Amino acid sequence: MSTATETLGAWEDLAGAAALSHQRMDLDAAQLEQYWRRCSLSADFWSRYTALFVPGDAPRGRLSQNNLAHVLSYLLNELFENCAKFSDGPIRTVRYECVVRPDDLVFTLTNHIAPERQPGFARFVGELLSADLEALYIQRLEESVESGAGGSGLGYLTLMKDYGIRFGFGFAPAAEGSVAVTVQAHVQLEEH
Amino acid sequence: MTTDQIRGDEYQVEYDSGSSTVRFQGTVRLQTTDDYAPVNELLLRAHDAAAGGQLSLDFRQLQFLNSSGISMVSKFVIGARKRDQVRLTVLGNRDIYWQQKSLGNLQKLWPNVQIEIL
Repeated sequence: MSTATETLGAWEDLAGAAALSHQRMDLDAAQLEQYWRRCSLSADFWSRYTALFVPGDAPRGRLSQNNLAHVLSYLLNELFENCAKFSDGPIRTVRYECVVRPDDLVFTLTNHIAPERQPGFARFVGELLSADLEALYIQRLEESVESGAGGSGLGYLTLMKDYGIRFGFGFAPAAEGSVAVTVQAHVQLEEH
Repeated sequence: MTTDQIRGDEYQVEYDSGSSTVRFQGTVRLQTTDDYAPVNELLLRAHDAAAGGQLSLDFRQLQFLNSSGISMVSKFVIGARKRDQVRLTVLGNRDIYWQQKSLGNLQKLWPNVQIEIL
């Protein structure tokens, strides 16, 4: 994991964190973009693999195995798709990591961008972390109809408002003038 | 009755004029707005064919839809609200978690949309 020098939102230093399981996989952003279904395949694999840590018939108020697998598949597919779409500059490595704990899961996706892209992304994150999520969700969609653009940020907004997932973001200088962008997604096993 | 259909590797979207229903099946996680254009165009054709009556969007066999797909469907609903020519019903499946969680958002975009999670 890159050492983040600037963090926003729900950021946790996971180095040496006690966990039931640590997972890690390295991918290539250019290949994810070229072979697009790898985003979905990777998301489906890790969601089902990870969901086996919880029982099929979870106690009331906790996510069942099936529902957890669904949440994670949507989450991870969005994060892998973002890495495929927004990686930029000479470093194309995408690192997936997950820490499984008794009450929560933390997924960490790191990709790299060119430094000039950092301020725009940090502004977007700042808006996301301080906004009324319902209002911003509607506003983004209404605006996208007017402008003809895609509904920017809709993935994060649905994950935050519909599933209660909390996000943290880290920016760290990396080799060859790149910036490593790390997104942490905190998933509670208690149902939202 | 006519059927208008789009098939991909992992999904199928079809318009059944007899029941005035667009059915989504499988997993739809396309890459770009352009990739979604054929599905959007099918929805617009279905809307025009149903003008003056009702149109159903049936998601009950749709396992996954990525945020680009949610955006496309949401924008279709906003467009239908602006034209106000159809009564729109959305059918969901209570066993598919994202549908429980996110289909209700369509009603926030157009309160006249009827949502039935079966």
